[in-house]
Amino acid sequence: MKKLLGRLVILGAIVGGAVAVGGYLRGGAAGAKDVVQVTFDDGSTRAFASNTPEGEEFTDIARKLVEMGL
Amino acid sequence: MTEREKVGSGGDLDRALADLRALSGDISSCAVLSADGGLLSTSHGDGVDRERAAAMLAAAANLAERAARREGKQHASQLRVDADNGHLLLVRLEGGGTLAATAGKDARVGLVLYDMRNARAEIAGAVSAGGAS
Repeated sequence: MKKLLGRLVILGAIVGGAVAVGGYLRGGAAGAKDVVQVTFDDGSTRAFASNTPEGEEFTDIARKLVEMGL
Repeated sequence: MTEREKVGSGGDLDRALADLRALSGDISSCAVLSADGGLLSTSHGDGVDRERAAAMLAAAANLAERAARREGKQHASQLRVDADNGHLLLVRLEGGGTLAATAGKDARVGLVLYDMRNARAEIAGAVSAGGAS
C-alpha cells in the first residue's frame, strides 16, 4: 500500500510538472508583446502583437530593412 | 525615370535628410518615398539594393494604409515596428509620400519619431518643390 502511494505521488508530480510547463508555454504565446503600432490621421492607434499575421508581416519587412539599411 | 535615377539627384531633399540624421543620432538610415512608392532619396551609401529597399518600404506603407482602411480611417500617419534587430519607423508626408527611418535596437524611438515629425514639413516642401526631380 505504501509503495503504491509513493508511486502515485511520483506520478502526480510528473503530471503536475507537465501541466505547469504546458501552461508556461501557452502563457508565453498568449503574452506576446505588441511590436507594431500604427497611428492614424485622427490620432488613434492600433497595435499588432508579434503572434498575429499582421504583426508578422510588418516585422518580417522591418527586420530585413534594418539589416540592409535604407 | 527609374528609382535608381531619382536617388541622390534631389539636393534639397538630400540636405533635409542629412539634417534629420544630424539632429537625430539614433537614426541608422532614412529614406523618402513618393506617393506612388518610388524612392526619392536615401541617406544610405553605395552597396545597398535600393530598389529592393524601396519595394519593401512601399510594402510596409501599403500594409499600414490597409490597416487604416480596415479601421475605417483615412490614412496611417505613423508606423512603428519593433523588430528583434532594431526599429522601422514611417511617417506619412503631406501629399502622400513617406519618410522612413531605421534605428538600432537601443535607439530612443520616441525621440526619433519626434524628430521625424518635426522634419516632415521641410521634407514635404522639398518633395513638392521638385527637389528630387
